[in-house]
Amino acid sequence: MTDDPTLPLAPLDKAFATIRQQVPRTVRDGARVHVAHVTDIVDGQGLIVSPREGLTVGLFRVDGTYYAVKNVCPHNGAPLCRGSIHATHEPGETRELNPGFAGRILRCPWHGWEFDIVTGKALYDATSRVATYPVDVDDKGQVFVTV
Amino acid sequence: MNIIDCDVHPLESAATPLTPFIPANFREALKLGMASSPGTGYANPFGVIRRDANCVDPRAVGRDYLDPHDVRYAVLQPPGMYVSLTRNIDVGSALATAWNDWLVETWLNADKRFLGSVSVNMNDPVAAAAEIRRIGGHEQMVQVLVTGESVHLYGHRAYDAVYDACCEMGLAFAMHPGSEGALDSSTPVGAPSSYFEWHTTLPLTFQAHCVSFLAEGTFERFPKLKVMLVEGGIGWLPSLLWRMDKNFKALRATVPWLKRLPSEYAFDHIRLTTQPIEEPPKDEMLLQMFEMLHAERTLCYSSDFPHWDFDDPRKALPSRMPTALAQRIYHDNAAELYGLSVEDAVPKTEAG
Repeated sequence: MTDDPTLPLAPLDKAFATIRQQVPRTVRDGARVHVAHVTDIVDGQGLIVSPREGLTVGLFRVDGTYYAVKNVCPHNGAPLCRGSIHATHEPGETRELNPGFAGRILRCPWHGWEFDIVTGKALYDATSRVATYPVDVDDKGQVFVTV
Repeated sequence: MNIIDCDVHPLESAATPLTPFIPANFREALKLGMASSPGTGYANPFGVIRRDANCVDPRAVGRDYLDPHDVRYAVLQPPGMYVSLTRNIDVGSALATAWNDWLVETWLNADKRFLGSVSVNMNDPVAAAAEIRRIGGHEQMVQVLVTGESVHLYGHRAYDAVYDACCEMGLAFAMHPGSEGALDSSTPVGAPSSYFEWHTTLPLTFQAHCVSFLAEGTFERFPKLKVMLVEGGIGWLPSLLWRMDKNFKALRATVPWLKRLPSEYAFDHIRLTTQPIEEPPKDEMLLQMFEMLHAERTLCYSSDFPHWDFDDPRKALPSRMPTALAQRIYHDNAAELYGLSVEDAVPKTEAG
């Protein structure tokens, strides 16, 4: 049924389509803030930084690229970026398990809801998303977040 | 040689009754069936059948129940639903066929207002599917019927052949309680000690089957399948689905074949009957439950005639129910589920 291209995507198929597109954050007209050096960031875990008063974000390195995720779970406000990083199973046929997105999936430390680090997209419905911020690294390895 | 026989069985008789030996304060308890044991199941102290009615003569049922209550169609739930509990699998399958032919000849042929349920032996899913294809094309057959008691949860892949046949023949898959405890304890944590306790906890099997259908992806594999939950209660469904949806948000990766919230599958594929309708202190509470479970899509009126907990069509549901909702519950939801015409029916102008 889900193979029928004339039908609208089911919510979870839609969520994963968003994740696969990997649309980068467009740089908004925000403040570019120095937050870390690349050597501060460990693969497979978030570095919590505060680019401005009242805002904390998690810095992540996935396959050599840097990402910043707002450190607030849209569910109940948990410190999302202190969660664990995993692969997940992509939507598929019944009885089939298709692992994917290894190292990209952030699991909230409280209730275990999943988010894609690259896009901020939640993996449990079609629309939920956690805020992400553009990250750039200069030639000295200094990491900046635009917030 | 004198011998000693170590196994001889004495029985009581009218001349030698046990009753005088039973302590006086326990004699009423025995009359109330409170001595239920594994061999006897749970006995209703008053009998399961109404004192003023029965359901053995199709003409009498048509005259005494269908006619005066404006019942356009009545979906029959024959005793063949229990054949899956037969320990000999081939005998069970033979009984299924027998009940189906009996139903057609005795009831369906007698009155077109009777709609039929195909009895199947779920312990031989291939034979069950063949039986569905053999008899399920009868114009008055509308569903396949099994009990809440079963060897596996109904989302188990062992039963896929049955669901495939249901979809092919355009039949709903219905389950009905009554034999809980026949194969195992009727609750997951032990056997109840009374019919009161047993009957109250009957929805437990329905909840387990419901979650199984949803989690196993049965409705992804069989997008046309509709499941009818007969006589299993209704009030538990919203909280079960809320719980399941919440768990899905955390645990989706363990059931990645689900592409939507479990509740979305449920409201598309699962239907319920009303009786025995919960009777909360205020009608408003029941109407709120109707809203929570999308009664305008999911809920179908049922009386359970001629059983002791019968719900009279004129009395059972809140009289203040909106007319449009009453029309859905009393008629249209079942008409859509069973492929009956909606437009031919005379619209009800008031509930009941």
